[in-house]
Amino acid sequence: MSPAAASALVVDGVTKRFTTPDGALTALEDVSFAVRPGEFLALIGPSGCGKSTLFNIIGGLTGGFEGQVRVDGAPIDGAHRAIGMVFQEESTFPWRTTLDNVAFPLEVAGMGKTERYARAKNLIKLVGLDGFENRYPAELSGGMRQRTALARTLAAEPRILLMDEPFAALDEQTRLLLGDRLLQIQQALKQTTLLITHSIAEAVQLADRVVVMTYRPGRVKRVFDIDLPRPRNSEIVSSAAFGHYVAQIWNDLREEAAKGLDESEAIARRTGQH
Amino acid sequence: MDQARLSARHFLGSVTALRVATLIVLFLAWEAVAASGWLFEGVVPSSFKIGAALWDLLTSGAFYSNIELTLGEAAISVVLGAGAGIAVGLALGRSRFAGTAFEPYLHYLAPTPKIVFLPILLVLFGIGPGSKIAMGTLSCFFPMALSVASGVRQVDPVLLRVGHSFNLGRVAMIRKIYLPALVPPIATGLKLGLGVAIIGCLLAEIKMSNRGLGFLIMQYYSQFRIPYMYAALIVAFAVAALGNALIARFVRLPGR
Repeated sequence: MSPAAASALVVDGVTKRFTTPDGALTALEDVSFAVRPGEFLALIGPSGCGKSTLFNIIGGLTGGFEGQVRVDGAPIDGAHRAIGMVFQEESTFPWRTTLDNVAFPLEVAGMGKTERYARAKNLIKLVGLDGFENRYPAELSGGMRQRTALARTLAAEPRILLMDEPFAALDEQTRLLLGDRLLQIQQALKQTTLLITHSIAEAVQLADRVVVMTYRPGRVKRVFDIDLPRPRNSEIVSSAAFGHYVAQIWNDLREEAAKGLDESEAIARRTGQH
Repeated sequence: MDQARLSARHFLGSVTALRVATLIVLFLAWEAVAASGWLFEGVVPSSFKIGAALWDLLTSGAFYSNIELTLGEAAISVVLGAGAGIAVGLALGRSRFAGTAFEPYLHYLAPTPKIVFLPILLVLFGIGPGSKIAMGTLSCFFPMALSVASGVRQVDPVLLRVGHSFNLGRVAMIRKIYLPALVPPIATGLKLGLGVAIIGCLLAEIKMSNRGLGFLIMQYYSQFRIPYMYAALIVAFAVAALGNALIARFVRLPGR
């Protein structure tokens, strides 16, 4: 069996160029990697490496790129049922209760009320929000709203769960605990997961493999296998092995992050002189 | 009970007292002017005469058929005007091209007194309720279209991306995301639209008609039955206020 066929998701030679007022900008250059079925892959890179662009390309929300994104061997064009997206921003519908938010994809698919509510309730339990079914997002905390969004995405039963820094807006402690919750869910569902993040600790805590991206243009710099035992939880962050992985990844990422910092300071200096 | 709440209650009590006092002073001033005979007799009739006229109107069956007609015209105007306003607002808000091209027209037309269109509407729809409904519809359309168009641009873009990520078609996007997200601007549009729709229908009736509340007001005026004219005005005022209160009550905003 070829490696491509054994993969749930293949990103193959994806290049994306933007035209900006200052000329052409290559956001992503020849990005290739694959996610195996049931695997938790984290993609990490400095700000400006095109992470969010890649998220939108894989999710089918951004077109006009070179290369291919394949799900189970078939190239995709546009938003795809097999891929479920969880966004970085607040994305729950403020006019829907937790139950109706989670049942949303089932509702638009035409599923009857009894069945979709039963399914939504299971997912609400899975993300630990039982008891909050009839609350509106405004009555929940940020972490609870992100879990609602996660449950809503899972309700569509995607083959691949695609997340763009879903915990970025939350505090460190909440993030660690939600990471635990995500691991439990991922392992319970054997959910193939691609997490895009800028947090090294988050990537090591959660992932089987970590893809490190370069600063602009975004390319795959290196892929790390994270050989930490499973089932895992946030206690792992105090282990020596965890520290070792974080140090290794930081070693690679540091150079890229520094380039990004230099460039943004240079731009600030230039615009300051005008 | 703590000091703050005590003083808050005291404050509310004072406000109510001031409001009641204002009404009493206005009432007494009105009565004084009515009794003084300074103005032409009947221009400021005693409020007791107005009250008697109001009672007379409210107990006569013919009066209600006129109120019903005006209310019916206003209701149809709101349905047509708000419906068209929502559709046009959605189209303008969703397309940057259409919005840039056409919205200036709306902005210029919106504050124009619609009464200038009345002759055209009379020619088109006749002297009956048709031309009144057309006036009300026209009046209600503009605030709704403008409110919805600007509301569409304020819909959180991430919610649209969620919709696209779930593969929603055009109709589902509008039904499941745009319309619920637009409940606040639609409520604002309805509130403004209902007020101007009633004004539009009344104005058209006052100008030229053979039935309705506005017609009645003008008929009492031309017959110089001033207490009745005031009584009909009070009813028109109450109807408009009631309509607004109903809309404010029924358009609830869950979760916001």
